[in-house]
Amino acid sequence: MYFPYFATYMIVGLGLALLVAGWALHNGQFGDQQRARFLPLAGDPPATDAPALTRRGRLEVYGLALVVAIGLAGTVAVLAFALLSG
Amino acid sequence: MSATGKLQPEPYETARAFCITSAFWMVVATFMGLLGATELIAPDIVRIGWLHFGRIRPVHVNLVLFGFVTPGLLGAVFYFVPRLLRTELYSERLGLVTAGFWNIALVAAVSTLLAGATQGREYAEMIWPVDLLVVMVFILVFINLIMTVARRREPLLYVSVWYACAAIALTGATYVLGNVVWVPDTGSLVGIPDAILLWFYGHNIFGLLLTPLSLGVAYYVIPKACRNPLYSHTLSLVGFWSLFVVYTHIGTHHLLQVPVPTWLKVISIVDSIGMVIPVMVVLINLWYTAQGRLGEIHADVGAKFVFTGTIMYFFASIQGSMMALPQVQRVTHFNNWVVGHAHIGVLAFSGMIALGGLYFVLPRIAGRPLHSRLLADLQYWLVLLGSAGFAVVLTIVGLIQGQAWLNGETVYRVLPSLYPYYVLRASLGAILFSSAVIGFYNVFRTLYGQRGAAA
Ligand code: HEM
Repeated sequence: MYFPYFATYMIVGLGLALLVAGWALHNGQFGDQQRARFLPLAGDPPATDAPALTRRGRLEVYGLALVVAIGLAGTVAVLAFALLSG
Repeated sequence: MSATGKLQPEPYETARAFCITSAFWMVVATFMGLLGATELIAPDIVRIGWLHFGRIRPVHVNLVLFGFVTPGLLGAVFYFVPRLLRTELYSERLGLVTAGFWNIALVAAVSTLLAGATQGREYAEMIWPVDLLVVMVFILVFINLIMTVARRREPLLYVSVWYACAAIALTGATYVLGNVVWVPDTGSLVGIPDAILLWFYGHNIFGLLLTPLSLGVAYYVIPKACRNPLYSHTLSLVGFWSLFVVYTHIGTHHLLQVPVPTWLKVISIVDSIGMVIPVMVVLINLWYTAQGRLGEIHADVGAKFVFTGTIMYFFASIQGSMMALPQVQRVTHFNNWVVGHAHIGVLAFSGMIALGGLYFVLPRIAGRPLHSRLLADLQYWLVLLGSAGFAVVLTIVGLIQGQAWLNGETVYRVLPSLYPYYVLRASLGAILFSSAVIGFYNVFRTLYGQRGAAA
């Protein structure tokens, strides 16, 4: 009979999660979200115009898009097959 | 060591130690994968007991998880957490000790598993003393991170810090639980509850360790490389909390063919579909941040790895949500389709982001440019080719196996039709192994080569 242990674990986990969320709320972690967006950029020079994508870069993007398209097409085909073949 | 005192570690020494750890174990892990793939083509090729497939496989899997991907992600974490908090790492010395014990744990894992000492539960094979070492290093990493948070000068915790701390704390806890460390002999419960617990833990290794660490790295690297603020920090926190609410419930989707309670299966399936929410929240946020700035991403090889990893996250997750449908699992379960999914998730998503984080921080922690941008680019293409190739080849093999099973075909009659794909798979393994060797050389030369040797 393991379920009491599982249930205890879940209750403790939930309790701890609520505690951390409560701390975050009181500590103002959900305030000033505008400033938070910039935190990784601290100390960096301001953004200039983005460099244009080079020819090689564009080819790489097309290559990646192709990989994604093939994968998605394969996944959709399998899903359709699995559902339609009854 | 610094010039001021021989015993005083330099800043980012911990990040450096984890980067080189990851690069080294990637070589060993991919070699083990290649060896395993070769043995699947030619089972008699190695006649040494401790190099048999049954021993090689857990070594490969555990090294990929704990040797290559996790330390790679931690290399970036130990760089960006202090920076985001505008302070120094709580203790570089503790960090170095942790990296040392981490490597000891890996050596212990490899030697015990090769010697045949295993607990025989997937992703929880390591025996009790090694489990204790693993738990210890997670506790040490957590102490270092949480003390850095406590000493921060920046009051706001950026989402990457949340992800890093949560990943380490939660994994420490689920590792203890999933490996049943209070039963040292077997490291397991008995019967169905053990299966439920094991897959709660097994899925958490991806959902609560690799995924949050990878997302934390991506949330740092993409805005930084694009020099664009994050599209929405609020959205990122929604993604953070929803990930933990949803991901923790889905482990039982590994057990849909097993007599576990139906309500648990239903929860796992519903929440697997619900995973679309945290996944898309993250991806929309990251991709909007990079919108119009692909040139910047392309200019930095680390960011390129990371961005590609986010595309693979989309892939692995959408595929995963579908794989949790019982109707789909009739075809895809218990065969190489799942192995394909595992490689999209662990290698193409988390592995790519680990390499990206590593390459992104490497020039910053080494204080000099990458030894060779060309080699890093080459590694990028080899890893992309290898992982996309795995996805295609293993998916095809899985479909053949799944259909054969559904049609009641005998296993040995199917094997010949799998053979060419297994050869392809081993070739892709060779590509990935080469990429790891190139990567290790590049990382080593960047960190320890002569100054001014940049190419
Ligand atoms: C929305 C997210 C995801 C969902 C719903 C999902 C779902 C699934 C399901 C249903 C399986 C079991 C398939 C079966 O046995 O038939 C599975 C296996 C697996 N998943 Fe995912 N997945 C997701 C994302 C990921 C990610 C991001 C990773 C890696 C970081 C990953 C790694 C794995 C691995 C390694 C396995 C193989 C487990 C085994 O050895 O049997 N998954 N996933």
